[in-house]
Amino acid sequence: MAITVKRVSRHVEQTSYVKATLQGMASTLKQMFEPKVTIQYPEQRWELSPRWRGTHRMLTKEDGKARCVACGLCPSVCPSNCIKLVPGEDENGNRYPLVFEIDEFRCIFCGYCQEVCPEDAIHVGQHYENSEYSREGHVYDLERLMAQTHPVSTLWDATDPRGE
Amino acid sequence: MATTAEPTTAVTQPKMVNLTIEGRPVSVPEGTSILEAGKRAGVLIPHYCYHPALSIAGNCRMCLVDVEKAPKLAPACATAAAEGQVVHIYTEKALEARKGVLEMLLINHPLDCPICDKSGECELQDFTYQEGPAESRLRDPKRFNPVEDFGGDVLYTTSRCILCTRCVRFMDEMAQDTVLNVTERGDRALIGKFEGKDLTHEWAGNVIDLCPVGALLSKDSLNKARSWELDHAPSICTGCSQGCNISIDTRDNMVIRFRPRPNEHVNKYFMCDTGRLDYRWINRQDRVEVPLVRRGESLAAADWDVAIPATAALLDGHRVFVAASANLSNETLYLLSQLIRANGGTGAFTVLTGPEAPLPGVPDLSLRADRAANGDGATLLGFRRTASLLDGLTAGDVLIVADADAANITPAQLALAAAVIVIGTTLPENLRTAAIVLPIANHAEEDGTFTNLRGRVQRFYQAKAAPGMARPSWWVVGDVLAALGKGNAYYLASEVFAAMASDVSAFAGMTYDALGMRGLVVSGGAK
Repeated sequence: MAITVKRVSRHVEQTSYVKATLQGMASTLKQMFEPKVTIQYPEQRWELSPRWRGTHRMLTKEDGKARCVACGLCPSVCPSNCIKLVPGEDENGNRYPLVFEIDEFRCIFCGYCQEVCPEDAIHVGQHYENSEYSREGHVYDLERLMAQTHPVSTLWDATDPRGE
Repeated sequence: MATTAEPTTAVTQPKMVNLTIEGRPVSVPEGTSILEAGKRAGVLIPHYCYHPALSIAGNCRMCLVDVEKAPKLAPACATAAAEGQVVHIYTEKALEARKGVLEMLLINHPLDCPICDKSGECELQDFTYQEGPAESRLRDPKRFNPVEDFGGDVLYTTSRCILCTRCVRFMDEMAQDTVLNVTERGDRALIGKFEGKDLTHEWAGNVIDLCPVGALLSKDSLNKARSWELDHAPSICTGCSQGCNISIDTRDNMVIRFRPRPNEHVNKYFMCDTGRLDYRWINRQDRVEVPLVRRGESLAAADWDVAIPATAALLDGHRVFVAASANLSNETLYLLSQLIRANGGTGAFTVLTGPEAPLPGVPDLSLRADRAANGDGATLLGFRRTASLLDGLTAGDVLIVADADAANITPAQLALAAAVIVIGTTLPENLRTAAIVLPIANHAEEDGTFTNLRGRVQRFYQAKAAPGMARPSWWVVGDVLAALGKGNAYYLASEVFAAMASDVSAFAGMTYDALGMRGLVVSGGAK
């Protein structure tokens, strides 16, 4: 028994593809005169927002040592528990981190560590090229964090820290 | 009759006064300060210079409260509670006064909380956060004074000091060894040492706990941990037979420090430096982690299912000689005494001794000559105190070395025994010939009780996890007894304690719940 299919009779305006095709071509033509949004990475680089939160950087004092005093606030505030800190003393008896490691693979780049830091030491950076050949490569120790040179994030306006 | 009895009741039951603090009615003995009455009512009045063990100085002015019908604010630490008093702590007037006090205290305080060890448990932080000014109006540079070594375990960070003089009063009144004073005047004032003196008194370390801010710090735990990372477990110090109540503070399963825990019957608020600094043995890493059973020449690792029946087979029908440690809990010693009772034999222990070091300001508080926590409990449970550990070991006995100090045990003595069973945390070199080694948890890794030299039975709680397969000592001994068919296996330390309470008359009627945090004295009374 043959199946009968109900045919709806539609107007030619609804069934013709000519108009839709022309509309699509018009859209394409219009984009040819719009400014380009793609960039030629890696030759061209994207300009990051000043609030971009990327891989970390530890700032240093004038004597080349890390500003960190191992106060323990960043491992306490870190929601992904990616900071390992062992406090100790440096040769002058000042409080200093013996171990400071950030697992960038665990990190969710919330920027809390930068916000909580009382010494302006740990920062999230304006940086996004983080690929490594191993998971271990993503664990940045203190030396590596200090060796980073990329600009750091500006999480808030220094002249108006409360956003008033 | 009634008239003659009255003076005695007046002494034992002082007159009570009724007052209201922050809307809470409270009844306290006459002469109690408003601050102490507030604690009883459940409100903590902010204070720095006041400490219940020390004389009242009234110099910090932080405890100012509003008493109805009084013309001025009253210092709660130095004002006696009176009948019908109505005290308000958080009126605008009182808050304003305390805010002023805090602003003054913070003028020269360096606010270096990120590098201060007290951070997180600092009363200046707490009360400033609670009711202090949000910003300083001081625009001039802060006064700075260098850090000074006070000798002993104490480091004085001068700049952080708020001059409450708790430390000065402790050394004068409790230690009765005047070392500290207030040097200079006005904003140059600081705590100083008298010429040629150091904080080397046996109990001087208590000034670290008394200091409400981070001025006096322990050199031993300096920069080791932040206070909020620490876990606290109530425990008893094993340093001597005094049985001071302590808190074991751990981080990541490592003991970081000991602090005293108040118990008015034993140590008030204090502990000695010998006890305070003797915690590293708990963290030692050379522990026995699996049961070891002898296979020919060597000791082989075995499961508990193998080691316990093997132990029972060795013990079956033999007299035992138990060389116990005086730092084992009452529970474990009781089960060992059950083993002695079942198989016949004796138990002995030795106690290291040292010079006594009393704290003159507190009656009956001293670093005792007996440097072990539970010698008195061991004596109560029928163990013999000897000078030489294996005296009386007869040929053919099975020797059980239960965590005792094995340094003086000779191979000749071991050869006398039919077999050697080690129940211990570590395996010393001279006990490598043992037939069986059963690993147990140390004092900080299990629950239990100690009996101090005044017969007070006090609980200690587990502070950290035991390594590897090590089990609580009462569990191990209970399992051995069960395998011998001479007793029950136990699953909780409280069950062992209940069995001991029903069996040993000195502990009759005691339970873990009844002991609480203060302990109870064994029947027969305090010695």
